Amino acid sequence: MGFDLNRVIRGRVWKFGDSVESDAINPYYRYPTMEELKQHTMEVYRPEFPREVRPGDVLVAGRNFGCGSSRPGLVLREVGIAAIVAESVSRLFLRNSISRAIPIFVAPGISGIAEDGGTLEIDYPRGFVTNTRSGAQAGISRYPAAIERIYACGGLLQFARERYLREQGSGGNGTTA
Amino acid sequence: MAQTMAEKLLSQHNLAGEAVSAGDFLEARIDGAMCHYHAAEPMHDLALEAGFKDGLPRVWDPERVYVLLDHHQPTLSQKLADENALVRREVERLGIRCFHDSEPGIAHQMMLDYGLVRPGELVVGNDSHTLGYGSVNAGATGITRADMLYVLLFGELWFQVPHSVRVTLDGRQPDYPVAKDIVLHLAGEHGEDFAQNMSIEYTGSLVPQLSIDSRMCLSTHGVELGAKFAMFDADQKTHDFVKARTATPYALLQADQGARYAKEIRVDIDRMPFMVARPHQFGNVAPVDEVRGVRVNQAQIGSCANGRFEDIEIASRVLKGNKVAKGVRFLISPASQQVYLQCLKAGLVETLIEAGAQVITPGCGICQPRVGFLSDGEVCITSTTRNFRGRKGSNRAEIYLGGPLTVAAAALTGEIVNPREVLHGL
Repeated sequence: MGFDLNRVIRGRVWKFGDSVESDAINPYYRYPTMEELKQHTMEVYRPEFPREVRPGDVLVAGRNFGCGSSRPGLVLREVGIAAIVAESVSRLFLRNSISRAIPIFVAPGISGIAEDGGTLEIDYPRGFVTNTRSGAQAGISRYPAAIERIYACGGLLQFARERYLREQGSGGNGTTA
Repeated sequence: MAQTMAEKLLSQHNLAGEAVSAGDFLEARIDGAMCHYHAAEPMHDLALEAGFKDGLPRVWDPERVYVLLDHHQPTLSQKLADENALVRREVERLGIRCFHDSEPGIAHQMMLDYGLVRPGELVVGNDSHTLGYGSVNAGATGITRADMLYVLLFGELWFQVPHSVRVTLDGRQPDYPVAKDIVLHLAGEHGEDFAQNMSIEYTGSLVPQLSIDSRMCLSTHGVELGAKFAMFDADQKTHDFVKARTATPYALLQADQGARYAKEIRVDIDRMPFMVARPHQFGNVAPVDEVRGVRVNQAQIGSCANGRFEDIEIASRVLKGNKVAKGVRFLISPASQQVYLQCLKAGLVETLIEAGAQVITPGCGICQPRVGFLSDGEVCITSTTRNFRGRKGSNRAEIYLGGPLTVAAAALTGEIVNPREVLHGL
């Protein structure tokens, strides 16, 4: 499932602080199935989150979002989070999100302009996030072309398969197609 | 232009063949891939998701892929047993030569124990603590599972060249390990993301005195500071360690004089107190005296951060002829079978068991909710990697991080104390 970076996203904000960690996002050691994870993601910060999050909501965080392990944040997409916007993102969480074409944006200053429960509009092509009530804006850091290509492909898995098939030649290997 | 270690590493591995500098993007050639294969998102499932209906069609070089069943050994559930069985079939199908199947231990320690990583190499692993191999002058970092699928197919991966921070450790090595205290001090003083996306180069007068064990702790914990790499220059200790384990030739990685650093940090080891991270963040750091008197239910030594010989040796020294405090569960998990054997031969295990400690099978379990769960309201002090809420079970438990000496002192007294109170002559 890919994501078109050029699509404008508008959603209700769930606001979190700094250093939101990977075990809290994805406590899979305690809750090994996706159905269980959906009931528990982010509960250590906000117990009501799994219950009250709605499809299309936007997650806003401070610095170092997703710090900790190399666990991916797929569960956030599964509960309906349409995009993540943070002051800064830990390197592995950022790589994970890029790899799986999950919309994630680094927008320094976002904590200052976003309000919990308010509405944000994320316009990557134009390069800013807007609080629709106050009109306040924060700029989005642009991804290099190589990363935009991974998003356009629908993620690194699809990117890898396309490259593999291309290199195998048009005949391809039927058993792997 | 003068290059940092990271710039040199990635220039040497740049498929485009050009020199790169901080901020540049590149496709890099990978020398080694440490792969859990299962854990969280099994590689086979990712291959299916990518559209390879029979699973991964190949690995780019069966000699350079290292599969270690570390997180799930021995298996603690039917599901994991079935997953491991699948991995065994996959390893055989793909022709992967290096497979640690029936040996418990932490992959990172085994990579180093068995000489699977050499100075100057670019090694990736689908585990955040892969940075640990920087201890032996390798460029090593954690990648994601999807990244690993790409690496397994092509032996290549995209990187952004990191800016570098030079951390100068000056002072005298005391008669006990201080690597954990140094990392906690750095996180407390400079923020737990001060090296976000950066490459740490450790240098200073302490470094030649640091054991390889301590360097492994410092490099492994680079990720807790946000880093992409955390590296040491090679010295005689490095050569002795590596050459005792592999005959594979290697080339050293060294920064140029005049290389540019985005940050310079200096730590005076002689004036650094014992440090502790309070719940529930790595950077929530205080000198041990500020949390003195906190009663503990469980104390732990283990993990890829601090489960090595010197960590267990200091615990044995503290507990020799003594008993673990009543009501405290003291869990010790050597990082690997090789470390375990080293401890056994030195008589450490005997001392620790006589004192009332529990020795746990080597592996990652002690650092996760896998063995040694905590109940509501319980307190644990541990030398493992993370103190996140719920990391050891209950969300209402509290986890403190400390060096192995601080942990052993707490196991002995039943509360967090300054180790100087229990180990005289420090």
